[in-house]
Amino acid sequence: MSLANTHVLKQEDFERMLKWLDPDPELRGVTYEKIRWRLVAILAARGCICPEELADETIDRVARRVIDIQDTYVGDKSIYFLGVMNNVHHEYLKRPTLPRPPAPDDDVEAKETTHLCLEKCLDKLSPNSRRLIERYYSESKRAKIDLRKRIAADLGIGLSTLRLRALRIREKLQTCIEQCLVSEAQP
Amino acid sequence: MEDKNTSIEFSDNVIRRFLLGSLSAPEQLAFEQRFSSDPRLDSRVRRAELDLADDYTYLRLSTGERELFEEKFLVSADRRRLVEVSLALRDRFASASVLKTKNTFIAQLRTLFRLRRPFGKLAFGLAILLILFGATWLVIRERRIVERITNTIRPRRSAPRSAPQEVHHPANTSSPEHQTTPAPMGVHNQTFSPSVIIALVPEASSDRGKMPSLTLPKGEQAIVRLQLALIPSQAGTYRAELLTIDGQTIISADSIRTPENGSAQVDFDVPARLLTTGNYQVRLVRDNAGIKENLGRYYFRVQ
Repeated sequence: MSLANTHVLKQEDFERMLKWLDPDPELRGVTYEKIRWRLVAILAARGCICPEELADETIDRVARRVIDIQDTYVGDKSIYFLGVMNNVHHEYLKRPTLPRPPAPDDDVEAKETTHLCLEKCLDKLSPNSRRLIERYYSESKRAKIDLRKRIAADLGIGLSTLRLRALRIREKLQTCIEQCLVSEAQP
Repeated sequence: MEDKNTSIEFSDNVIRRFLLGSLSAPEQLAFEQRFSSDPRLDSRVRRAELDLADDYTYLRLSTGERELFEEKFLVSADRRRLVEVSLALRDRFASASVLKTKNTFIAQLRTLFRLRRPFGKLAFGLAILLILFGATWLVIRERRIVERITNTIRPRRSAPRSAPQEVHHPANTSSPEHQTTPAPMGVHNQTFSPSVIIALVPEASSDRGKMPSLTLPKGEQAIVRLQLALIPSQAGTYRAELLTIDGQTIISADSIRTPENGSAQVDFDVPARLLTTGNYQVRLVRDNAGIKENLGRYYFRVQ
């Protein structure tokens, strides 16, 4: 039994929800992605094996209700999503337990493309950022602490600042690589 | 909406435990409320996701954390992409002390030749053709070389073992051919033998409770032999690939043959140092004259 098979979301409902989320057309997509990401994270933390499916069902339900609540709802819209998500999750818990979906097969071509995109995205980093990432990720598991201390000392910063800097660059790389993968996938 | 949760500052540890699904019920509730309404928490949670994916890839998680990661974190396409990028970073920058697999080498080689591009493919094809022509020319020119090579290699090919780069091959001592054939590998046959042998059947179960399990032997040189049952035994060579339960390649071996004694199995030797506590799978592919047939997966657990 799927939760998502009861109604089909209409495009106009979806558009209305995006508009309700943020009046600024430039920001609507970002707001939507963030809400979906949070829902997936919460549902995963609750132990759901298909958090994306449940997050999408939550969003579909909210989209269908916006027409009724948009003029009267007061408060944080994210909390509204959380309330609907709780209902969806409650229904999920009543479903018969399904086996975990199998892990996706190892795709050698996808790995190659990721490596190619990594190279491209590394080239876009500033020399300092690139040097930092190279050192930060060159550690073995045993040498982690020593190496990070050395890098932090060389840069004259604390360990937590180093971690923050490295993760910010890592975040940029992740975004860049994902965009690259999308463009590589296009014919 | 002002509530008491807005004044709580969540530590990095709490964020990490949230992502691993290990917060207590009250902690989870408080975190969810705050996470849903405080955009400032977004960037911290996102960075914690990246950090966790890196730690998983670099084998820095404890056994318990690793299990939680596979069960509760690695459940969305977005998060699987985080791990893919972590793996790419590891392959690109990590030193040899971090797991370096043959597969990675092949991937890097392919990257080097940029096989997705037509020119790269053509260049790679031409290089292979040149090597083939060169080898053929050598063989025709000097048949004695062929005989010498054949004599040297035959005993090794009679019962090759997995992962030659990683392991000094244990050999099948029960094979009668080994006793009668001049064997340059004789010293290896006697010196190296698997420390642990575990017999696996295909697709027995990926269910944690039902997986066959083994205890890791001690020692840097210890070998775990995975005896992969074939149903039925068929001609050809085999490719075995050891992966974590979520599909990360650890090591692979090509051109494995069944033992000379006719056992319907493939012996896949894995250095014990590549394994930690957790669940694993082995993918077995048969290569019969270039035709590849997926024979399924074998699951096991290291305690």
